[in-house]
Amino acid sequence: MQSLKNHLSFIVPLFILLFSIQFSTMLNRAVDNYESKLAGDYTIIVISQKKLPQKEIAKVLPEIKTIKEISKERYIKRLQKDISKTDLVYLKASLPRFYSIKLKSFPTKEQLTQLTLKLKKLPGVQKVETYKKTFNKLQQFLHLAKTASLIFTVFISIISILLIIKQMEIWTLQHSQRMYIMGLFGAPYWMKSASLYKSVVIDAFIASILVGIAFLIIPSSANFATIYHDLGIDLRNFNFFSDVAMLLLISLVISIISVTIIILKNKQR
Amino acid sequence: MSKIIQASDLVLAYKKNEPIIKNTSISVEAKDFVFLTGKSGSGKSTFLKSLYGELPVAGGKLNVCGFDLESINHKKLNLLRKHIGVIFQDYKLINEWTVEKNVMLPLMIAGYSKQVCQMQAHKLLKHVKLSHKTEKYPLELSGGEQQRVAMARALAHNPVLIIADEPTGNLDDYSSEVIWNLLKSVRQHIGSTIIVATHRIPQTLGIDYKQYFLDEGNIYAVS
Repeated sequence: MQSLKNHLSFIVPLFILLFSIQFSTMLNRAVDNYESKLAGDYTIIVISQKKLPQKEIAKVLPEIKTIKEISKERYIKRLQKDISKTDLVYLKASLPRFYSIKLKSFPTKEQLTQLTLKLKKLPGVQKVETYKKTFNKLQQFLHLAKTASLIFTVFISIISILLIIKQMEIWTLQHSQRMYIMGLFGAPYWMKSASLYKSVVIDAFIASILVGIAFLIIPSSANFATIYHDLGIDLRNFNFFSDVAMLLLISLVISIISVTIIILKNKQR
Repeated sequence: MSKIIQASDLVLAYKKNEPIIKNTSISVEAKDFVFLTGKSGSGKSTFLKSLYGELPVAGGKLNVCGFDLESINHKKLNLLRKHIGVIFQDYKLINEWTVEKNVMLPLMIAGYSKQVCQMQAHKLLKHVKLSHKTEKYPLELSGGEQQRVAMARALAHNPVLIIADEPTGNLDDYSSEVIWNLLKSVRQHIGSTIIVATHRIPQTLGIDYKQYFLDEGNIYAVS
């Protein structure tokens, strides 16, 4: 019973730590996924007096995915009944060219400002419409989501690591008598600490797998699935094996470093 | 005969300027059976502690099994302890380990396979008449039984030197007899040197031994 309690005291903070890291990772992936979706929908309109050479522009502005000229014919046809043929020819000649630009990824505020400046410097460009107001709101929301998730993870990580170190100190005290007796018979450092390392490695495995299972269950639950679907976010971005392997690596590194610090601290006493 | 313990002008102290053992010299030969006697607080346990490096040497020289303890490092101390078997007055058994695993400890440290460790542990537990308690935990045993487990553990790796601090101090006659018989047998068959701190030397030991008496920080040979 005591042993189970000891293990749980270590597994719970480790689970919370790994859960927050995985949550933050998945949120970032969802935001990235959402941004790439937005980038597909997002369009910049450029009005130019001259024809824009597409290949050259793609070389100068690599962030541009496609650049298409918007046909004027549709608008001119609408005016055919109202104005004379001569005026129509004149109008057609004097109308500027309209281009629709799509980007490879959703830009930041700074990237968008830079891109606008570069586009305006192109010969013949009169106006660049980025729909800044709508863009800024979305951009800020996504930035807020990422920052909030990062702050949350950092705080949870600090608290969890402190709890892990506290538990390690309790363990070391519990193990100190055994380590002392083993030392009296000439046991080397690694042998005296072996059972402590063995415990943390087992607990790291358990915590990582539990987080993996939690992330298999939670996103597929009905309530969450509806919310994600409504927001247009794809949360099927959890790969059990690669993500659990990464979590296991993180938990092993944290556990082994913590246990080593505590043992060395006790050794110096 | 080679010397197993050689101390010259040895000073031992827990606090600076308060020596427990003062400028003492003693030498113990291989295969000697030595009794350290003296009243409580005379420094018997202190002297024994210095032999396996639990108490550092405060002055003079102390050589045990060829290791100079006044200048020993951690690695060499571990090596020395692999040559020594210690029986403590308070047993010092690992309570969360079974009797069998406790006895296996020195062999595990020496790097023997699990099978060899188990065989040797069973053999020794038979000698101390505890082969029926291999799977028990120390706290499930009586004081006498615990001391016999500690005894089996101290002998498991056939040590060159056996140090026993009041091994029969709290024991009944039966357990005391088992322990003395085993110590005699070990000396006879393995050739270990044995040094025992005790208040009373058993009357019916039936072997040659040397006796030293500790008083006010000095060690005197009793002829």
